[in-house]
Amino acid sequence: MENGTVSAVYGLFADPAAAQAAVEALRAVGVSTADITIISSEPFEHHEFSHRDKRTWMFWIAGVGGAVGLTVGYWLTRMTELAWPLPTGGMPIVALWPNLVIIFELTMLFAVLSTVVTLLVTAQLPRRRPRLYDPAVSEGRILVGLEDPRVPMDALARALTVRGGQLKTIP
Amino acid sequence: MTDATDRKITDDLLRPLQTTSAGFWMLVAFLGAIVAAGLGTWAYQMYRGFGVSGIRWPIFWAFYVTNFVFWIGISHAGTLISAILRLVNAGWRRPVTRCAEAITVFALMIGAMFPIIHLGRPWLFFWLIPYPNQRGIWPNFRSPLVWDFFAISTYLTGSVLFLFLPMIPDLALVRDRTTGWRQRVYGGLALGWRGTTKQWHRLESAMQIMAIAILPVAISVHTIVSFDFSMAPVPMWHSTIFGPYFVAGAIFSGIAALIIAMAVLRKTLHLEEYLHPVHFENLGKLLLLMSLLWTYFVFAERLTVWYGNEASEMAVFRVTQRGSFAPLYWTMVVCNFVIPFPLLALRRTRTIAGCVFAACSVLVGMWLERFLIIVPSLGHKYLPYSWGVYRPRPVEIMITISTFAAMALLYVLFAKLVPIISVWELKVGAQPVAAKEHEEVHALWRTEP
Amino acid sequence: MAHRWGMAVDLDRCTGCEACVTACRAENNIPTVGAAQAAVGRAMHWIRVERYWEGEFPDARLKFRPVLCQQCDAAPCEPVCPTYASHHTEEGLNAQVYNRCIGTRYCANACPYNVRFFNFFNPQWDKPLHLQLNPDVSVREVGVMEKCTFCVQRINAAEIQARSDNTALKDGDLKTACAQSCPATALVFGDLNDPESEVSRLSRSPRGSKLLGDLGTLPKVTYLERQSQA
Repeated sequence: MENGTVSAVYGLFADPAAAQAAVEALRAVGVSTADITIISSEPFEHHEFSHRDKRTWMFWIAGVGGAVGLTVGYWLTRMTELAWPLPTGGMPIVALWPNLVIIFELTMLFAVLSTVVTLLVTAQLPRRRPRLYDPAVSEGRILVGLEDPRVPMDALARALTVRGGQLKTIP
Repeated sequence: MTDATDRKITDDLLRPLQTTSAGFWMLVAFLGAIVAAGLGTWAYQMYRGFGVSGIRWPIFWAFYVTNFVFWIGISHAGTLISAILRLVNAGWRRPVTRCAEAITVFALMIGAMFPIIHLGRPWLFFWLIPYPNQRGIWPNFRSPLVWDFFAISTYLTGSVLFLFLPMIPDLALVRDRTTGWRQRVYGGLALGWRGTTKQWHRLESAMQIMAIAILPVAISVHTIVSFDFSMAPVPMWHSTIFGPYFVAGAIFSGIAALIIAMAVLRKTLHLEEYLHPVHFENLGKLLLLMSLLWTYFVFAERLTVWYGNEASEMAVFRVTQRGSFAPLYWTMVVCNFVIPFPLLALRRTRTIAGCVFAACSVLVGMWLERFLIIVPSLGHKYLPYSWGVYRPRPVEIMITISTFAAMALLYVLFAKLVPIISVWELKVGAQPVAAKEHEEVHALWRTEP
Repeated sequence: MAHRWGMAVDLDRCTGCEACVTACRAENNIPTVGAAQAAVGRAMHWIRVERYWEGEFPDARLKFRPVLCQQCDAAPCEPVCPTYASHHTEEGLNAQVYNRCIGTRYCANACPYNVRFFNFFNPQWDKPLHLQLNPDVSVREVGVMEKCTFCVQRINAAEIQARSDNTALKDGDLKTACAQSCPATALVFGDLNDPESEVSRLSRSPRGSKLLGDLGTLPKVTYLERQSQA
């Protein structure tokens, strides 16, 4: 095998402990953690290899989305009630208490939508271009690998075959 | 967790998608026929005029609004159960969550049809949407019906997303196990999901936020539905208790629907190893709790009315307690409290069959409760000369029946096309607890390792 | 000053003859729904005479009261309409805009007086009754709510005429169909903002009260209590 002709190399592992060993082996041959891709059909919270990428702005973005929704709700009700002022039931033209209901709903709607948009963007969904993936993941295998490897292939091959890992490449 | 267990879970939960029996087609045809009949009945009503229903002066809301409140109430099962249980980290929610979320989405869709069905000019329902138009007029944001529109739209959007987002990894699973056009469809729906650590973390964060956000929305939705009644000066409608009362009733009927749906799925899809009697026991305890809460609200409301002895309220009170509505009223009390209470309180009867029987009784009782809130009050307002009697007509009965068929049909199709138990969440639940956590537990409780 | 239209109903003069009901029907193109539909409660009487029996034979007494839209200043039917089909005008009338109505019927539920009516079917007028339709009043289609408007078509016509003649409307120039046709002049219509008008004078009467006044709807129809024993 030569470097430069392989776009990705990975190993398939039967259980998370094996995947952890592979990740440590890869780090030992000089691959940085950010370059390692780990794919599984379920999240493994208790293992060290999944403790990366946890920090997110999503909660703050949801809050900002909610604030935007609140503003939109306030503006929509107030603007429309003043644009065509029709008295009803002796209530004020801009009726704050009823408007609060609309303002609340739009706040929550915008918070939810901004959460979902953030999820799609940060998780890079939907993705059409095929990337590093193997359908064996759906059979329960854990994929540990890297794209565009710069480290010599034989070192990678040793790291990715620990604990019974199956080595595969993508040309 | 061993490879074999993992494979077994995947195989068992994907089997309904892969094997289709003749019984499935017959069921779909049967339910589809009833739904088609319901749609045809609605078309007939739009063509002939609203007079084909039993609505009359002064009872202008009856079956359709009853169904509206009933189905929106049922929709509180899912999101509340799966959101609350997710937030308190209750592990037993894992097999239950998608069943519950699916009930929410479909019940909402059906419930949201009724504000359109009950309109005198339903083809103009879009006038409730605030968009700039040449009519030069906006919707009246003071109206509880406009609040309904916003609340239900928000809740439906939130619930669909709450159902769909955790479905993405399972759709990817099905994608990897199918070929041909099915693979393209599931692949498209799975949005190219791979399962990297980053994607899992983002998904978990999003679900956390959604669970926190959907709870106040769910509570607000049925509160706003209750405002349709409490904002009008009608005897026994204009009550401050309606918001919490309706929310409690909604959760009550929602849990009942969930129990029934889970029992049916367990039987028909052979999910005995995943839906255990303990799941039904836990939901049965929640159902018991809600039954007691519902009874408490009804008692508080009725005692207040009876004690206050206000003439127009007492007219409505008497007609439900002892008058023409008494048979329905006492049936409701039996169905919502007398039957479920012993069945669910005693461990010996809190079996799957016991829970299902109690749940069916609760659904009947809660439908009657909605009816009995609406019709007796409207028929006995302030001026006795204008009191009236309501009789349902075939149009309304047919449409009501077809909504149950529609719910069943949507659910059957959903269970056929998507794994009804969340595969990845179940696998996470089956993961062995890390050794470090064992040590922490033992240190905390001073038990022997 | 702007007008503020109101009405006084003298229950001492009312005989329950229902001429007002018939006149209102003729003036406002209200459809007759037929015996079968009326039997199931679909009749549309913008003004109706409510009748109550008191006591037992031979001391039975009949009490009746014409009930029509009270044009409430704090009308519960107005804020609940999602499309502003029911709203308050500057002259104090509760307007019903047929074109905006999508038929939710919430207004009818909210009205404590039950004076709002729904078009269950498209109205029909058998020939030659179609010749009797009032061209100043629209015919409502199925699915639309309607109610007493204080003959707003007459109000508008009189105001336009007065403006073009450059005169002021005098009390008594303008009458609703029911007030015009009442043989006992039990119904009096006029401008409550004119302190000298007949309706203002009657609404100040010590016999006067509002129907369901304690509900806070601020109705503009004053009922003068019946005093005679007959």
